[in-house]
Amino acid sequence: MPVQGIRAVTTARNGVGAFILPCKRLDFHYCDWAGSSRGMVAFLKNTLPSFAKANPQIEIRVSPRPHKHPVIKGHYINGREKAVCVRNLEPEQIFQKANLLKEASGEKLKRTKKPVTSINESVRGIWSPYHGDLKSV
Amino acid sequence: MKRLQLQRWSSSVLSPRARTGGRLQQHLYYNLRRQSTVSPAPQAENEPLFEEQSLNSSTHIPQSSHFKYLLPSPPVEAARESAKLAALHARLYLPSRLPLETLARSLVDASADSNPNFNNEALATLGNDLLSHYTSEHLVCTYPRLPLTVIFAAMYAYVGPKSLAAMAKEWGVEMAAVPGGEVDPGLLQFKRVLPGTDVNAGPVTGTERPNEHRKSWRKSMTSRVVYDNEYGDPVGVSGESATPESQNTQGVTAEHANATFVRAVMGAIYLHAGRPAAKRFFEQHFLSRHLNISDLFNFSQPARDLSRLCARENFEPPVAKIISETGRKSRHPVFVVGIFSGQDKLGEGAGASLLEARSRAAVAALKGWYLYSPLNVRVPSSMEEEGAAPWKPVHVDLGEVIV
Repeated sequence: MPVQGIRAVTTARNGVGAFILPCKRLDFHYCDWAGSSRGMVAFLKNTLPSFAKANPQIEIRVSPRPHKHPVIKGHYINGREKAVCVRNLEPEQIFQKANLLKEASGEKLKRTKKPVTSINESVRGIWSPYHGDLKSV
Repeated sequence: MKRLQLQRWSSSVLSPRARTGGRLQQHLYYNLRRQSTVSPAPQAENEPLFEEQSLNSSTHIPQSSHFKYLLPSPPVEAARESAKLAALHARLYLPSRLPLETLARSLVDASADSNPNFNNEALATLGNDLLSHYTSEHLVCTYPRLPLTVIFAAMYAYVGPKSLAAMAKEWGVEMAAVPGGEVDPGLLQFKRVLPGTDVNAGPVTGTERPNEHRKSWRKSMTSRVVYDNEYGDPVGVSGESATPESQNTQGVTAEHANATFVRAVMGAIYLHAGRPAAKRFFEQHFLSRHLNISDLFNFSQPARDLSRLCARENFEPPVAKIISETGRKSRHPVFVVGIFSGQDKLGEGAGASLLEARSRAAVAALKGWYLYSPLNVRVPSSMEEEGAAPWKPVHVDLGEVIV
């Protein structure tokens, strides 16, 4: 056999070609009785229909959670979930939180130290000590 | 080249409801199990037999509130009410001509629903053919000198079951625990294999290869093109015809079900939105994924291959020369060796011994040859676009060296 093939799997580059929104589901939980849910109930009544219409790629679930603070939970493609407590918040603030969950990638927050992260090879190549001018001692 | 009016053609074949006499038939068979998209291939030929066939193939369902629980997969009407399905449709930016019902059907595996009018088997067969066609023409035109083993490996990497299953996961497709009529149609429905089952237990039998019972006989590379599938794996003919029954009893793996779903989506886009949309979907979702083809090579004797290649191409025989070295007597020597054919340097490599450096240099030279890619590549299927420029022949190479 002169040359054999090694089986591999292609890696995704989300946004190169197609872009899949990482947030796949948003759960809105509210309480009908408690005062901390007042903003959430107003948000669900007034803002949520337009929010859902603007983001058709997100599945939206609304369910009561009696005697608890209101919560928004985001479920992501990578299997993780993010929950934000929105007690005593105004509808506009809740909208911002929902937007934050929508735009999140689902990954744990981490500090980026390099300006560019890429899986492509460096165009310039890696520096080699054995090439270039020979150093005489 | 005139484009086929796929939409008109497919609607007349695919959906019995869209026909002119649909309303009457709906009234007659209202308590039958119906599909809005029927598998196109067999019905397209014998059009007059269509009504009897659909009548015979459909099963009587009692009209009760619990009839959902009797169905093996969700009813067609449930597709419009599923939030998951609508979200998946929007997430993939699928064309609006692709109805939710078809997307729901592409989520039903043959192991969940054995009725071919309701599972995704036909769509997946079409999608698999499209995927392998587009991928192979891309690979062969972009890298005309790739050895056949590497083409097989690259095909596996682009449209193999592992990659497709990973894609389905990245599309956010969730799997139902157990298939059934009451399940949300936005979930992937398939029957799972029991834990502890050996999935690839026995050797593949029923291939068309002569003398397949001779295990020790050599299988040539060219015979794999004829007898094996697009990844160079043996494909069992009798095994395939037996799969629907065996799948019903044993179930399929999650990887298999996910891959079938992705293929079915491709087939559904082709049927409902036409060839340009299918090609665009392929380029955006499959071809845009990252694969370093130079990592797929595994040479056993690169120096020998290179000398055979130089002899075939009438180059001067390759000579390895030390370009630089350091620490020859030390514990960590490094040699940089170049392989020269006359005045031309074919490749260069660094290694801890002279032999290692030489073989690395030969590998670099061979990869430089095999990974040649012409500029401005066009694939044959680009001629299907309207107003395409006249076809210019692509580079066709002699192929890999034979040792």
